[in-house]
Amino acid sequence: MSQPLPNPNTLLPLELVDKCIGSRIHIIMKNDKEMVGTLQGFDDFVNMLLDDVTEYESTPEGRKITKLDQILLNGNNIAMLVPGGEMPGESYEAQ
Amino acid sequence: MASKEGGEKNKGSQGAGDNKEKRRKESILDLSKYLEKSIRVKFAGGREAAGILKGYDPLLNLVLDNTTEYLRDPDDPYKLLDDTRALGLVVCRGTSVVLICPMDGMEAIPNPFIAQE
Repeated sequence: MSQPLPNPNTLLPLELVDKCIGSRIHIIMKNDKEMVGTLQGFDDFVNMLLDDVTEYESTPEGRKITKLDQILLNGNNIAMLVPGGEMPGESYEAQ
Repeated sequence: MASKEGGEKNKGSQGAGDNKEKRRKESILDLSKYLEKSIRVKFAGGREAAGILKGYDPLLNLVLDNTTEYLRDPDDPYKLLDDTRALGLVVCRGTSVVLICPMDGMEAIPNPFIAQE
């Protein structure tokens, strides 16, 4: 890979995601959807396997929440991943 | 996966044998100069975030610390509010990143495209 990682101390993004396996993670999609779940695993395309998931949708009417058991989240629409994150502003019920 | 370097396309003019050895995935942006600096990242779909760059990879996945997300107007998704939310340590997916710029040396200006009467 020609993009030089200047020193071995640079934190690799996918390493950080890997460390998060087994803990809660907050996934922010490109659209107004966010998911919070326990990360079971992910693949090269960062499709994600999540357990015990809460889905948050920000619509003009307000937040919509659904709960799902185990899901495979398609990595196509993921913008950000927040390890350890519950939804900012929500109470830490699942901790 | 989106290949930002475009190095995968075979240019027919190159020597057939050399092609694989000489063709390298050069990144046009060296992110090492932004490490530990505050940068602003824009995503496909309109999200914007800013944070301190802690790490990256050649696919443009980023690790940002102390991240704040700039929120948008729910009625007009292209309008930024002053509102932000703090996210902490985040990983940004390189496939969604459309713009990276340093916060230092950047300022918001009034819309120059609106016709001034």
